[in-house]
Amino acid sequence: MSQTLTKNQEKALKRFADSMDGRVRAHLNSCVHCGLCAESCHYYLATGDERYMPANKVDQLARIFKRYHTVAGRLIPKWIGAHDLNDESIQEMVDIIFGGCTMCGRCSMHCSIGVDIPFLVRTARSMLVELGLVSPGLQSTVDAAIQKGNNMGIPREELVDTLQWLDEDLKMEVNDKNASIPLDAKGKRILYTLNPREPKFFPLSISAMAKIYYAAKESYTISTTCYDVTNYAYYSGDDEAAAELTERLFKEVEKLKAEILVLAECGHGSRAIRWEGPHWIKKRYPYQVITVIELIADYIKTGRIKLDPAKNQAPITLHDPCNLVRSGGVLEEQRFVLKRACTNFIEMTPNRLDNYCCGGGGGQLSMGEYRDRRVAAGKIKADQIRETGAKIVATPCHNCIDQIMELNKEYELGIEIKTVAEIVADALVLDT
Amino acid sequence: MDFHAWFLICGFAVFLLSSLFHLFTIIRRANTDDLTAAKGSIPVGIAYSMTLAMSPLKKETAYLHLPTYTAGILYHLGSFLALAWLIPLFFEIPIPSLIHIISSGWLFISGVCGVGILIKRFFNSKLRMLSTPDDYFSNFLVTGFLIISAVTLLNQEFLPILFIYSGILFLYMPVGKLRHIIYFFIARFYLGLFYGKRGVWPPPKRQRS
Repeated sequence: MSQTLTKNQEKALKRFADSMDGRVRAHLNSCVHCGLCAESCHYYLATGDERYMPANKVDQLARIFKRYHTVAGRLIPKWIGAHDLNDESIQEMVDIIFGGCTMCGRCSMHCSIGVDIPFLVRTARSMLVELGLVSPGLQSTVDAAIQKGNNMGIPREELVDTLQWLDEDLKMEVNDKNASIPLDAKGKRILYTLNPREPKFFPLSISAMAKIYYAAKESYTISTTCYDVTNYAYYSGDDEAAAELTERLFKEVEKLKAEILVLAECGHGSRAIRWEGPHWIKKRYPYQVITVIELIADYIKTGRIKLDPAKNQAPITLHDPCNLVRSGGVLEEQRFVLKRACTNFIEMTPNRLDNYCCGGGGGQLSMGEYRDRRVAAGKIKADQIRETGAKIVATPCHNCIDQIMELNKEYELGIEIKTVAEIVADALVLDT
Repeated sequence: MDFHAWFLICGFAVFLLSSLFHLFTIIRRANTDDLTAAKGSIPVGIAYSMTLAMSPLKKETAYLHLPTYTAGILYHLGSFLALAWLIPLFFEIPIPSLIHIISSGWLFISGVCGVGILIKRFFNSKLRMLSTPDDYFSNFLVTGFLIISAVTLLNQEFLPILFIYSGILFLYMPVGKLRHIIYFFIARFYLGLFYGKRGVWPPPKRQRS
């Protein structure tokens, strides 16, 4: 091979070669370029730009695979569409792989072959990590989590202040001086995580969950040093950083001797911690990991909390976060909860596994350079929401909340966006 | 044995060895060890991935593109039928002529579907953007195989041509996209494993409100 590679390019190719297990190889060899996947992608549907076809996303990596890992790719590269890893192919890869995909997985569900496209997109992102080409906004989110313990860089004192204020607020709201938000308590049944956006911008969602825990008489705690449910290294493709963040949470659960790690309403965080984390840290969790949606559903089923749906009369629809649903198997629990917490629940069409991504996944919200593209791709979701006629959109994911809030302004939807816990908290019937 | 029969055997041997190599490479680094606690069932997920998940009722790529999907199914069924016919033709196993005629008709229809798919690839801008020379050639090669098989089933004088052509097809299979004949099943296995473990496939029963 006559091409001269830079050191970083060599590192990127080595990373790619190291990641090449049976799964990667199978998916890279399977795409037949039928192009039928195009209509499954919200980017393609919203823009009509053929570069966003999922098959073209697969090709960004497959052409490199063919070039460096197949005989035909070495001998007759143009014939089979093999490409060198060079400035041109890298530039295109960055634009498509980071800027044109939320890794929502809708395309894979419908792929005529069964290619795991988001998995290949993340593999490509891992290569770009080695090239130092992660979008600066996304990289800074990962860096903040690594250096400051949470992705928003919230100082511990600020978090504690916020939680203490919410603690006082809870006491007043439930009129019980014994009500509390326990911090850093050892030996509780549950260690509850937070999305740093909650203490920073949406403290009411913490209040809501605290009220639910109070009603359920739950034994739980929140760590003030290691509580971040997010893991943006999943999105950036940085396995080392992802492992570091997972390991910290793992140690925190062990330190506080909790039995269950409950993941706050965060799609990618739930996926990253529950489903990817053990592979990053190469060990099984000795404790249970569940999402807060599953926990609330269990509270209702077992009668630990009682709800009066009449307290939520406005029509509510549900946006299914891709990572929670398509990659996490949490499909029915949120519906079970919402149908018991409001009188007028309206499904979006399509929903569940076929639901469209809102456009906020894949780390897109932190990549400012693709903002216009992200909002344009969100039009599919905006249209879905408008068609329901709902006044409130519930979604158990803070990335989805932020994106839908932006869509709300951009497309003038006139809706309110809430977490599932907020709706449940409003419907709670407290023992008197 | 005639040259054309030897050529077919050699082509098939290369295909078989290459396929075994590909399979060995996958199995050697299969990496199916999963450290997570399951929410669903892996075997059930894999079974679903291989069956109902591909139903036109479930797959958007099928129900939004029914003509292409139907043509694709007929094309692929025809390809497998033509491959299967090589066995009795090679070993001179007697098969009733009615089955020859029915099979030939089927293969002609499959061949026409192949031509249709090829024309679509030439004229659809999305497909042109994705396509490499290998995509066109593979489609052309298989379509030719279907047509020659169909003709041979009606007139065995074409048998040497079919055997030579089949040999070329087997030799080319490991080179380009035709190797999805092996990888298709492995990809669906992995997808079923992924979604099965997470309780995504098969989709959980919808709860009554």
